[in-house]
Amino acid sequence: MKKIGIVCIVALVVLLLPAMVFAGGQDEGKGNVTFYMALYDGLDQEFLDELEAGFMAENPDLSLEIVPVQWDRLRDKVTTAIAGGNPPDGSIIDTNWILEFMPLDAIDDIHQYVSKETTDNVFDSTKVGQFGPRLMGLPVAAGARIMAVNTEITTKVPRTLEEMREEAIRVNNPPNTYGYVMPGKKYIELTDFAYYVYAAGGDFFERGADGSYGKCIVNSPACVKALKFMTQLGNVDKVVQDGWIAMDRMETHPIFYAGKAAYVFIGSWVESAMKEQGATFKTVYAPIPGFEGQTPTSLVVVDNIAIYKDAKNKEGMGKFLDFFYQDEWKARFDEMVGFPPVTISASKLPQFKNPLYDALAEAAKYGKGWTPMVEGWSEARDIIWDQIVQVFLGRKEAQPALDEAAKAIDELRGIN
Amino acid sequence: MNTKLKRGQLRLTLVTVLLAVLLLFMLFPFMVMISTMLKPGNEVYSASPHWIPHKVRLQNFVDVWVKYNLLRYFQNSLIIAMGTTLLNMVLSVPAAYAVARLRFRGRKFVLYLYLVIQMFSPVIVVISLFKTFASIGLLDSYLGLIIVNTVFTLAFSIWMMSGYFRSIPKEIEEAGFIDGCSRLQTIGRIIIPIAAPGIVVALIYTFITSWNEFLFALSFLQSERLMPLTIGLYNFVGRWTTQWEYLCAASFFAILPVLILFYFIEKNLIAGLTGGAVKA
Amino acid sequence: MGRKTTSLNREATLAYFLILPSSVVLVSLMLYPIVYVFLMSVFKTNKLAGLVEFSGLRNYHQLARNPVFWAQLLRTLVWTTIGIIGHLFFGMVFALLLNREFTGRKIARLFLIVPWAAAIPISAMIWKWVFDPEFGLLNYSLRASGLWSKPPAWLGLPISAFTAVMWVDIWVGIPFVALVLLAGMQGISKDLYESAEIDGAGRWVSFWRITVPCIRHIIIIATLLTALWTFNDFNVIYILTRGGPAGSTDILITSIYRNGFEWLRFDRASTMSIVTFIILTVFSLLYARLYFRDEH
Repeated sequence: MKKIGIVCIVALVVLLLPAMVFAGGQDEGKGNVTFYMALYDGLDQEFLDELEAGFMAENPDLSLEIVPVQWDRLRDKVTTAIAGGNPPDGSIIDTNWILEFMPLDAIDDIHQYVSKETTDNVFDSTKVGQFGPRLMGLPVAAGARIMAVNTEITTKVPRTLEEMREEAIRVNNPPNTYGYVMPGKKYIELTDFAYYVYAAGGDFFERGADGSYGKCIVNSPACVKALKFMTQLGNVDKVVQDGWIAMDRMETHPIFYAGKAAYVFIGSWVESAMKEQGATFKTVYAPIPGFEGQTPTSLVVVDNIAIYKDAKNKEGMGKFLDFFYQDEWKARFDEMVGFPPVTISASKLPQFKNPLYDALAEAAKYGKGWTPMVEGWSEARDIIWDQIVQVFLGRKEAQPALDEAAKAIDELRGIN
Repeated sequence: MNTKLKRGQLRLTLVTVLLAVLLLFMLFPFMVMISTMLKPGNEVYSASPHWIPHKVRLQNFVDVWVKYNLLRYFQNSLIIAMGTTLLNMVLSVPAAYAVARLRFRGRKFVLYLYLVIQMFSPVIVVISLFKTFASIGLLDSYLGLIIVNTVFTLAFSIWMMSGYFRSIPKEIEEAGFIDGCSRLQTIGRIIIPIAAPGIVVALIYTFITSWNEFLFALSFLQSERLMPLTIGLYNFVGRWTTQWEYLCAASFFAILPVLILFYFIEKNLIAGLTGGAVKA
Repeated sequence: MGRKTTSLNREATLAYFLILPSSVVLVSLMLYPIVYVFLMSVFKTNKLAGLVEFSGLRNYHQLARNPVFWAQLLRTLVWTTIGIIGHLFFGMVFALLLNREFTGRKIARLFLIVPWAAAIPISAMIWKWVFDPEFGLLNYSLRASGLWSKPPAWLGLPISAFTAVMWVDIWVGIPFVALVLLAGMQGISKDLYESAEIDGAGRWVSFWRITVPCIRHIIIIATLLTALWTFNDFNVIYILTRGGPAGSTDILITSIYRNGFEWLRFDRASTMSIVTFIILTVFSLLYARLYFRDEH
């Protein structure tokens, strides 16, 4: 018995040895193109395989590798690759990274590699990466954030946040029904605070006439009002889920999908997520309300594709993007990930005409681009989150907490 | 005589109960995992949590293999883990023997050197290692991962095995020499069987560590067809939702090979010929 | 006299020959990264981990002046200490329980290995799922069984979050420690226990007088390595709490990761790494002395 075991293992090792030593990556000889694809929910491997095959069929001299990367890990991987001197030809990136990578001269102008036809077909309003004549990021997915209402719990679509709060209090019936669900746990995005800041007509930084970013104003009255409102909903009115401080966005939204909440602020993925969770209730979509006296101002989140300066095959990357942005591929992609199309041609297609997309388009009209295009935003965001959580925990008051945050952020950016 | 027997029985029952309770504690998340992997997607986040699925969806198990390429990830993990274990053993057994048995200048320094590596978390050195491996062309390959995994598991293997080698009394080794065995034969026939527990632990440790390695696989690999289980499984965590039922089902399979390996090797944890080489 | 020296020389030559392969691999691969970390700590770096200008000990001064760093350091030490105690305690308990012969021992040992068999990022995710206040089965079971009617939202409040994360870290390491100790115990001759029993020694006494001394060197190695790994345990904390709430589960390694990979402040991250290295070196040297004392 023991002898057979040993023989088996030795045989296995001998068989696998060549694989261990020689297996490498892409085919040599062809032009290699590497693209990091962030794994949006709903995007399946089959589609990526078809995309790869389709591109290589049309471009037999190129070997394309679409590398699927989980979203949270995308940043690690891209940073390591760039710092390590071996960047991919292109990848999906968060808007703010454009700003981090530009001074490092790590990304290149899209216009140089992607055809004018393709770039003209993308909505100008989504081109947050446009700096003068240079386009540093090609928008791949853009969506506004909206409010979803569970019509089985309430049919009231509030027009102000105060109205929403009132209705939430009225229908609140824990633990079966919550008036509202809200995350309170530190997360990689600050959107869940930004909703209220924008609803109060505030912002995070002073803006110059030329669009430049100045002092940090996260301690302005509007932001303080926003934070106080959130704290009130969570700790005083208690209309949100019990463990809200322990839950981030990914853990909070399923409560809505389970039909246990009346209102939630969410994005374009809401319908596909609900379908996957088997939600059967009807929803109505509306713009995120502003506070009394303020026009609703939503966030528009844009993801981009960047081409890296030190990459080996930028032309090949450009060709891939031209291929990918054709309606037959891009529209399929958009449908799968649940985002409204960024291409003008695709937006005219019938499958994108439904209440959800209409609401998204409506909200986008009055939306502000997210994230603030400020260098050092990841650190600033962390500072703000830590202060906000202190307020949620009842350790600090809103004004002093945000004052501290503003001071630290200005120091960080060297602004006095 | 009777009371002694009864006391023995009572003790045995108590011990068994204690063990069962402790194991329950340890295995709680895996019980949750099993409960979740049997549920269909729409039951995972049900309005009222429950252990027993209302509807058992065995299709989850099929899906993870068919829709999600689990076989490929498995093969890759196997190749990387086996390669690492092999390389590690080849490098560490001689070194452990030398450190344990032979007198030479710099012995303590060498032991310490192996330990220094453990003080730098992979997080800190990953970028520099990336540069190094890129420059020798081993970036997107099994061999690259095998080598880097070996580097981070050498310290423990050498320390662990040398401890065992050292605890074997010199007399046994000398007896081997007297009987006419060469040093190599002594090592193979006498020392290794006695040190088996130490070797087994080092082997299991190396296999598990490389089977579960995440950061380097993430950073070094570009080709999807080389990706191991740790990366593949993590892809079930999406940007807005996590597919728990698939993550749990796939994790279930990912754990099995380790258990199987352990099951077969475990009896070697029991000491060799002399029934214990450590004397007071 | 002459013969002794030659045999020593021969031993030494053989030794160098045997340790050459592993040493070469280690040094050739790790020398550059380690040196580079040192360099980054005394330079100002750009966001691509490139060296910009020499700044001497300025990074260290800035770090020392930062109260957050000291809080993180203290927390790391507390974290590591509790971690070591937890690992050793539970590891020893399991090792003792599984050292005896009984039916089902093989299965019990197999169950013990399970937490170790799962990759940490994956098991941390599953623990996150277990701790979920709304859908998680932990709080549900606690409530349903009547054991705890209002369990806390584990990962949301500072103390419960630290406890939860500490438990998961210990949980992850118990199988390893238990296995290592168990392997050590196998080497203890049964005769020792028998003669102790004849002399009238109870179990407690024979544990401290026989078991512990015999596996002393193994306990030392296990403790040392556990300490190093717990000090640098990144994944468990980051996946469960990201260092929150409000930094109450933030230790040095999570801060290093955040500074390096999220904020691209490689100089700060490297400085903290060197501080980590110094602390761990001092600790290891002290500990290694215990180990080498055995040899005389």
